[in-house]
Amino acid sequence: MKNRITVIDYKMGNICSVLNALTYLGYSASVSSDCREILDSNVLILPGVGSFRRAMMTLCQTGLDQAIVEAVIDKGSKILGICLGMQLLAQSSTEDGKTRGLGLIPANVERFKQDGLNGLKVPHIGFNQVTSESDSILFKDLPSQVDFYFVHSYRILPAGLPGKAAHCCHGETFLAAYEWDNVFATQFHPEKSQTNGLKLLKNFLLEVSPEK
Amino acid sequence: MLKKRIIFTLLYGDGQFMLSRNFRLQRVGNLDWLERHYNFSHISFFVDELVVLDVTREKRDFDDFCEMLRHLSRGCFMPIAVGGGIRSLDQARELLRSGADKILVNTPVFDHPEFVRRLVSEFGQQCVVASLDLKKNSAGTHQIWVDSGSRRLEDSASKWIQWILEQSVGELYLNSIDQDGTGQGYDFSILDQLPSNFPIPVILAGGAGNAHHLATGIADCRVDAVATAHLFNFIGDGLEKARKELITSGIELPLWIPPINDQKVNLI
Repeated sequence: MKNRITVIDYKMGNICSVLNALTYLGYSASVSSDCREILDSNVLILPGVGSFRRAMMTLCQTGLDQAIVEAVIDKGSKILGICLGMQLLAQSSTEDGKTRGLGLIPANVERFKQDGLNGLKVPHIGFNQVTSESDSILFKDLPSQVDFYFVHSYRILPAGLPGKAAHCCHGETFLAAYEWDNVFATQFHPEKSQTNGLKLLKNFLLEVSPEK
Repeated sequence: MLKKRIIFTLLYGDGQFMLSRNFRLQRVGNLDWLERHYNFSHISFFVDELVVLDVTREKRDFDDFCEMLRHLSRGCFMPIAVGGGIRSLDQARELLRSGADKILVNTPVFDHPEFVRRLVSEFGQQCVVASLDLKKNSAGTHQIWVDSGSRRLEDSASKWIQWILEQSVGELYLNSIDQDGTGQGYDFSILDQLPSNFPIPVILAGGAGNAHHLATGIADCRVDAVATAHLFNFIGDGLEKARKELITSGIELPLWIPPINDQKVNLI
C-alpha cells in the first residue's frame, strides 16, 4: 500500500515551503485540516510558525488535537513536527501563559533563559550547528555537525528524554531534533536549510514512505 | 555557534525586477528573465536568506506579487522575508501562504504601530522584520525616511530605534539611502544609531558591491546579517564566488553542499 502523506493545515504553517521541498524531492502530499483525512494518513507533517497558545487553540477548536494524537498513538502513524510543530508535540509551553500541548514528546517548552545568553540574541535566528547521534534516522549520511536554519524564542531542554536527540547550543544546549519510535521532530526548518534540510527530509521520507 | 548570514534582496515592481540607486529605480526584467539569464533557482543555493520587496511606487498589484512569490519560492530552500505595501493581516497571511516566512514592514512601523503589534501577536515576534531607510542630513545626523524614501521623520534615527525596541519586532533591517545601489560599500555609521547590546538581530543593507564589502559587514560585531540588492554585481556566479571567497578566507558561514549546475542535489 502506498503511504499517504498529509501536511496538517491549521492556518499557521508555512505550508507552501514544506510542499515545495516535498515536490522537489519527488513526493506528493495532500494538505488537510480534516480530522478523518488525518486519521487516514500514515505519514503526517505538522509545520508551524507563530504562537503556541494560538496554535493549540486552533487545533482544539477543530478537533485536530485529538485526531493527531489518535493517529500517532493508536494507529501508529508517523509524524514530523517542524519548529512550532515540534513544540506542539510537547506536553506544554509557557508562551503567552502556560498551555497544554499534544503530549507526544515528554518535555516542556520554555523561553531561552535570559541569564545564560551572555549577549546572544533572542529570537535565535539563523543557521546554527546541530550535533546528532550516529545512528539517527533523520541525520543519516549528514556530517555529525551540520548547519540548519532556526527561528524561535522558545526551546525544549534535552535532559531525560527517551529516544534520540540532536543538540544545538544558544547560550544553553537545547533540543534541535528528536526521534522516538514514530515521532520525529525538528526545532529548525529543514525546508529552509538548503540542501542539508532537503537531505534530512529525504531521510525522513525514505524511512516512513519508501515508495514515492 | 550561530552563523552570520548573507541575504540577497530582490526588488520587484510592476511585473519587473529592479535595480535601485539612491532609491531611483531601473527595471531589469521579469521572473522569466531572472530565471533565464541568471538561473536564479541555482544561485539561490549560495545565499542564506532572501528578501523580496514590492517597490512599486504607484498602484501595487498584490495578486501579481503573490503569484511571483509562489513561482520564485518553488525552487528556494532558504528563508524568505517579504515586504512592501503590507497593510493588513490578510495580506500578511496570504504572503505567508505564498512562500514567505517573514513579513517586513517599513512605513507602518511609524505610522501604524498598532498594526505592527497585531502582526507580532498573530504570527510571532520572529516573523516580523522592521525595515528602516536612513539618510544623513547636512548636519551629519541620521534620519529615517519612509514612504519609499520620500518623507523624512522628525527626530533622530537613534531616538526612533530606541522606540522600535518596545514594539517587539524580531529583526531590524537597516538600509542606507546614501549608499543604496552605489556598490561602494556599507555605511557603518548607521550602526552607531543602535544602542549598545542591541537585543535583536540586525541586518545591514545598502552599498555592498563585492565580496570584500560583505566581509567587512560580517566582521562588525553589531551585524548579524549582511544584505545586498545589487543584481548585476552579484548575479551570474557572483554570489557563488563571493561566498566561496568568504569561506576560504575563514569567515564562518553556514555550510552545505550546493547542487552542481542544474542537477538536483545528490540527495539519495
